[in-house]
Amino acid sequence: MGGESLYDIHQNAYIKLVLHALKHGTSAVNAALIGRSSLAGDSVEIVDSVPLFHSQIGLLPPLEIALMMIEEYYGEKGMSIVGYFHANERSDDFELSSVAKNIGDHITRYFPQAALLLLENKKLEALPEGMGPESSYAGTAILGPSSFPMTWVLSSLLQGFEPFGHSCPLGMIPVFVEPNLPLIKFKSDKSFPCLVPSTNQSASLPSFTCHLYTKDASRSWKLVGSDGSNKLVIKEPSANIVLLDYISSEKWKDIIDFDDHLDDISKNWLNSELFQ
Amino acid sequence: MVSKTEEEQVNRLESQVENGGGGEWEYLCLVRKLKLRRSYNVLKYGFSILNDPKKRSALGPEEWTLYEQVAVAAMDTQRLDMAKDYVKVLQEKFPESKRVGRLEALLLEAMGLWEEAEKAYSSLLEDNELDPVIHKRRVAMAKAQGNISGAIEWLNKYLEIFMADNDAWRELAEIYVSLQMYKQAAFCYEELILSQPTIPLYHLAYADVLYTLGGLENLHMAKKYYASTIDLTGGKHTRALFGICLSTSAIDQLTKGRNKDDKENSQLASLSATALGKDYKQRAPNKVSLLASTLKA
Repeated sequence: MGGESLYDIHQNAYIKLVLHALKHGTSAVNAALIGRSSLAGDSVEIVDSVPLFHSQIGLLPPLEIALMMIEEYYGEKGMSIVGYFHANERSDDFELSSVAKNIGDHITRYFPQAALLLLENKKLEALPEGMGPESSYAGTAILGPSSFPMTWVLSSLLQGFEPFGHSCPLGMIPVFVEPNLPLIKFKSDKSFPCLVPSTNQSASLPSFTCHLYTKDASRSWKLVGSDGSNKLVIKEPSANIVLLDYISSEKWKDIIDFDDHLDDISKNWLNSELFQ
Repeated sequence: MVSKTEEEQVNRLESQVENGGGGEWEYLCLVRKLKLRRSYNVLKYGFSILNDPKKRSALGPEEWTLYEQVAVAAMDTQRLDMAKDYVKVLQEKFPESKRVGRLEALLLEAMGLWEEAEKAYSSLLEDNELDPVIHKRRVAMAKAQGNISGAIEWLNKYLEIFMADNDAWRELAEIYVSLQMYKQAAFCYEELILSQPTIPLYHLAYADVLYTLGGLENLHMAKKYYASTIDLTGGKHTRALFGICLSTSAIDQLTKGRNKDDKENSQLASLSATALGKDYKQRAPNKVSLLASTLKA
């Protein structure tokens, strides 16, 4: 069933997921994974992804609209929704929330091999380290997720709350530091919870910033690949490097999700101009 | 709450500063006034002002407010070294100040020293039991540590004292939604609509929650509140229009054939569909056909 399949994700799909999570670093975000299963049925190709929401993820109406539109659009291209991506609000929260599970369940009804990806903040943080000490990324840091709830900081001090529609309380506040602000460059040996990327047998396989969950026979979501088997691979090995490039050029500012689209329909949730 | 024009203003200023056109101070003041959370930029621009002694002295007494704002932004972006420096500056200037005391406690929070922060807040509370900011920080700390039920408890206690704090109600509602406790979330939105009936966002959120709860009665109510949202926003609110289409189709499914006001339902649905179609044609023409096929489904 789901546990035996290999999941192949295209670079652009992967990058969109991470950029979206970075753009809305203070709230939970989710995305739909689009693709198809192989003819033999033993692997699933994740060709694209559509960032969904960054606010009030537990509400049904926007989700229904999004999923319907996405199915309509990609159905014509012979693809369907093959999975779901979720990033938790708090950096140290690695639990699969009930919302994520419910949405995953729904998708599994239509695509039994559906994959559920959960962003692992610490791996995202450790990405530059994984590039090696000689790389140009050494010494910089994707600012660690802080478990610092900024919920009401600004507003509290200024006697109010965060405005509606903007990010809810916090967690991951990754900020890629700019080299020209002298005080801001971090050394990797600072007291940072930087983990060495998890054991990767093959040097060419990029370390992945997500956990993969699939539904097993007992119909519950199980973490896949914790025994070292790489069930989730990125098609292009240079994906993480491209990702880091995008992060340093602040590309995350340009990514559009379904929330943005519903607020302003002229914004294109397909992000077709993002990688041009 | 930020209006669309205000948001556009901020974004305009932001891109102006970004492209080297100046206006950092105006941007910072506007962000402070609207209570926005744009810490990355606040830190960047604030730092550039504070680091330049000429620009700093040009601010006069506002310099200290800026220190406070940038200190908070530094904490938000985990630049704790910078935050510490700024807080120190403020401490030296205002040695016995409660306001600086709060900043210090905030810094402890940012460093993850929860117990020390809690102690600091408790002692600040001794002098002023009804300081809403500190109560709110308690909730925030519970949330940060993953203690969501604790956060809910504190928040409910807070709301018993400060019943009129709408932002708190909203916060509570959003926490409930994230935990899928929709009935409780609905209650919060009811309170909000009672206290501020002309704010369409509350109607919309309430409708969304009702739809999520499901059941014929809730769907009817959801439809009503989507309709009131559209009423309050002059007819073009995308989410509410979609909401109407969704709720009418869900009602239809639940009451196959045995409904008398079927006609009204379908009229409402087609009105919304038409409105959506018009809007999409104007602003997102490449999605019009997609919209049409989605609405049919």
